[in-house]
Amino acid sequence: MRTWRDVARYHLVVPWLFLVMPWLVLAASFAVNWQIFARHAVTAARSGDTGGLTAFYIFFLVIGINSIGRSLPFGLALGVSRRSYYTGTALLGVALALAGGLGLTALQAIERATDGWGVGMRFFRVAYILNGPWYLTWLTSFVVLALLFTYGMWYGIVFWRWGVYGVIGFIGLQAAALIVALLSVAWANAWPDLGRYFGLTAAGLTGVLAGLVLLLLAGGLATIRRATV
Amino acid sequence: MTAAISVTGLSCQYRDHLALDDVSFDVQAGSITGLLGRNGAGKTTLLRILAGQEFPSAGRVLVHGAPPAENEDVLRRLVFVREDQAYPDFKVRHALRVASWFYPNWSPARADALLADFELPAGRAIKKLSRGMRSALGIVIALAAQAEITLFDEPYAGLDAVARQVFYDRLLADYAERPRTILLSTHLIDEAAGLLEGVIVIDRGRVVVKASADDLRGLATTVSGPVLSVDDFTAGRDIWDRRQVASQASAVVVGPLDEAAWARAKSLRLDLAPLTLQQLVVHAAAHPASAAPAPTVPVNPWERTSA
Repeated sequence: MRTWRDVARYHLVVPWLFLVMPWLVLAASFAVNWQIFARHAVTAARSGDTGGLTAFYIFFLVIGINSIGRSLPFGLALGVSRRSYYTGTALLGVALALAGGLGLTALQAIERATDGWGVGMRFFRVAYILNGPWYLTWLTSFVVLALLFTYGMWYGIVFWRWGVYGVIGFIGLQAAALIVALLSVAWANAWPDLGRYFGLTAAGLTGVLAGLVLLLLAGGLATIRRATV
Repeated sequence: MTAAISVTGLSCQYRDHLALDDVSFDVQAGSITGLLGRNGAGKTTLLRILAGQEFPSAGRVLVHGAPPAENEDVLRRLVFVREDQAYPDFKVRHALRVASWFYPNWSPARADALLADFELPAGRAIKKLSRGMRSALGIVIALAAQAEITLFDEPYAGLDAVARQVFYDRLLADYAERPRTILLSTHLIDEAAGLLEGVIVIDRGRVVVKASADDLRGLATTVSGPVLSVDDFTAGRDIWDRRQVASQASAVVVGPLDEAAWARAKSLRLDLAPLTLQQLVVHAAAHPASAAPAPTVPVNPWERTSA
């Protein structure tokens, strides 16, 4: 427990990347979009959607990758086991995702209350996935942020251990797995079943993604245990 | 006494390269041992395995009686400073602050004193440090950690002579005050020779010499003088190397020389000079087959004193 906490503190000893940058990225994306909406009013032909929120999510992938990088070798040099390093880092990712999700939920509430920041913009509301009650917004954004952080961690480990070719192979394996999955569904004539499955609500999709987070966590742990520095 | 480090039949294979080949040795607790050998001999790989950073292909490694890999009980009692240590994007003081969280015996006062000794700027980004300064940072961490086992891999690459002397002085002072087990890989053999109690020489992944430094100092002697006298003196003795220029010759005689031999050399007007540790290592690494001084050297150099 103490080691996990210390690993998390290790990442935050320079808090800039993990605690400040994601919000700066979000603020920049928001500012650009707001400028556009302030100049060109929303019309019937043009919805209020932006997609600008993606920047914040992508940045969680980036900090996930960075949580391994050159931090891993020094961490292991300090007598931390790979298991503890991974657990502490993943817990930090979960905490950041919880806080990030809460922040997005609050901002979404403000967006609703101010009629889209006074310009009818739908920045923090995303059709279907982030458009429900506050607790669902928090839950879904938490799960997606944690998913991206975890996915980034796994890339970081693969890159550290096996370099660029490792990453290419890793992407290739995922593509192969996806193709196998698609073909299996096609051969089993299971498209209608799958359609019903994904026909679920945003909450249902969140549940599927949460399962994926656990899968990624297990994969990353199995990989880091083979990593050498 | 128990072995702080015990290595048995250790091998490490990278694809087509055998980095370590059936390496076995013990290091007793409370000693300073030199790990010597050429570039690429396998020193770093061996230390990385001891520190749990690399996995062996075969064999057994015990540190404080337990395998180090993924074992924090062992790893926390061990500090490993390597020449090519990677650091995250932060400053010297961040590295020290983080290290202080993980080492149970960390001494902030010692870290501060060492920073001053090495004139290391705490506020500078590590990536802006020179090679020597990075080495100094590694040394500061290793000594301030006060871990029971301290592994140094070429700790002073890029350090100037003054800073190296600071390192030797601090290391010895710390060691006297708080005995610990130190394994030091280095190329500056003669410079470090005075520190070393034991020596392990690795060549191409194999241990070619393991002995106490005292035994090694008398192990081989250079005999030089007139050709006939040298030949006379060396007849029947093991010789590593023989050179001849005109009527003068010199030969390296293996094995300790007794008083009679010294007296005889004197009567033959021969000069005798014991090989330095560095010369021995150069020789052992250059002629691994002929070196094999194992029979003349106890397998475990500390056995005699610890029995």
